[in-house]
Amino acid sequence: MLYELIGLEKILGGRKIFEIDRFSIRSGQIYSLTGPNGAGKTTLLKILAFLDRPTAGEMRFFTKPVLQVESDLLALRRQVVMVDQSPLLFTGTVIDNVKFGLKMRNVPAAERKKRAIEALQQVGMERFARTEAHRLSGGETKRVALARALAIRPKVLLCDEPTANVDSEHQKIILDILAAINRQDKTSIIFSTHYQSLEQQLAHFCLHLQHGHLSEHQADNVYHAELIERGQRRSSCRLSERVVITVPTRAVPAEPLFNLRIDQEKIRLAAITGDRQTEGSLVEGRVVEIREENGSIAVKLHAGIVLDLTLSPEIYADRSFRVGEVVAVVIPDEAVHCIPNNGDVRPE
Amino acid sequence: MELLRDSLLSAVVLLMQLDPELLFIIWVSLKVSTLSTLIAATVGIPAGLLLAQAVFPGKRFILTCLNTLLALPTVVIGLVVYAFISRRGTFGSLGLLYTQEAIIIGQVILIVPLVTSLTIAAVSKLDERYRLSAMTLGADRYQTALVIFKEARFGIVAAVVAAFGRVIAEVGIGMMLGGNAKGFTRTMTTAMALEYDKGEYVLAVALGIVLMTIAFGVNMLFHFFQGRTRTDAL
Repeated sequence: MLYELIGLEKILGGRKIFEIDRFSIRSGQIYSLTGPNGAGKTTLLKILAFLDRPTAGEMRFFTKPVLQVESDLLALRRQVVMVDQSPLLFTGTVIDNVKFGLKMRNVPAAERKKRAIEALQQVGMERFARTEAHRLSGGETKRVALARALAIRPKVLLCDEPTANVDSEHQKIILDILAAINRQDKTSIIFSTHYQSLEQQLAHFCLHLQHGHLSEHQADNVYHAELIERGQRRSSCRLSERVVITVPTRAVPAEPLFNLRIDQEKIRLAAITGDRQTEGSLVEGRVVEIREENGSIAVKLHAGIVLDLTLSPEIYADRSFRVGEVVAVVIPDEAVHCIPNNGDVRPE
Repeated sequence: MELLRDSLLSAVVLLMQLDPELLFIIWVSLKVSTLSTLIAATVGIPAGLLLAQAVFPGKRFILTCLNTLLALPTVVIGLVVYAFISRRGTFGSLGLLYTQEAIIIGQVILIVPLVTSLTIAAVSKLDERYRLSAMTLGADRYQTALVIFKEARFGIVAAVVAAFGRVIAEVGIGMMLGGNAKGFTRTMTTAMALEYDKGEYVLAVALGIVLMTIAFGVNMLFHFFQGRTRTDAL
């Protein structure tokens, strides 16, 4: 377990911000944290980053109790990093900023430089290395702040509204970076966000903070999967009693139980006469919801699993199905992402 | 008016001749003021950084005391220090009375509250996110304080410059603790007071010109750093 929160309570200015009876957050996963304004999302992130102390309650980090004393907190802080909603860069060049965390850890100068450049490359900002940090735009500042956090290779990355006040181009870049570091380095990520936002699609699990209480639910299109047959080229995974899909064996983790995320934008409607053009799985389900969302058509299918897909208005107009109809969809291989779940949760 | 014009002309001649007595007085003034400012900065800046960041019971009381000390008259400081370093005082055996060291002690007491208060003001104005960013990136308390010092440096330098301006123009402590001994503890301000008493305006006016030039330079520096701080905040 990454975090265990037991009876955690925070009171600010005489107002109880939240009270969490018992809650666990698993490692290696991406969590989104939603909630209305003022619900305490940033305060909770600060507590998880060991930058703020709870008023009452107990916290465990990697099963060890967190003693709220400065000497203990410094060691914990060096495993976790938080990126602010509107990050500030220190006076100096971009690379000086990225090296900062490494300097605090007494990493030798040559290694510092190497890792700082790598981190800047990860966020696509290496050409700004010698630029004065205060000359960057808002989106660039966020990317450098992310690089500054990534350079220290944290076990946990906490992001407060990572794509807020950022143009759509930078939003996509930031989300891709978060997905990549989770995939490659198994970095646990918790980020606060708004409902129905773009980054919600990134999360494996959703945390919701409202009226001082924290709850968790599986993110859209993320399923507990069980490997039922490992073939040489393709393997079969059960997502529910009724739904079995096949995925390339190279993408399947070693453990038989894992999480599986299906990218809703890559799911497509199957051709009426059958679809054998792409490798993937064919799933049939009943349409339970159709709505317009940001210029696209969002469709919810009950197919033994709840499957969300996003269609362009043209494709939807062409097929023009209604709520209650049964439609077949193709889940192509490139839409499937297997995520080790560090646990033993079986499909329902 | 004629008196002022004649004195002014004579003073300019005195300055251009690089009169040794005049130069020594300027040297003593600059030396004691610089040393007292450096000592006060060494004490006041860390104290300001600590007080601005730390949360502890009685902090408000300490800040109120600091603000009160800003209004402390120099003659009061002179009297208190005199009581300690005069022959009958606790530190009388050290023979500090009427020395440059005595002036420095008095001036340090005068400006430590000023440096501390202005450092607190500079640090308090700084965005909280600098501290949080440093901490989340793994900085310990000392490293975080260094980051804050670096980011608030213009405001802190302005505090030091203001403190120097305060002591270079100070007369009460120089007179009471330095004794205005010629060629030893005579500073620009004490010399001006003496020359005025004697009715010798030429040297007083010459010193006045130098003092005003230094004060002008110090204030230019102060406004330069204030300007930089404001630009940074934008």
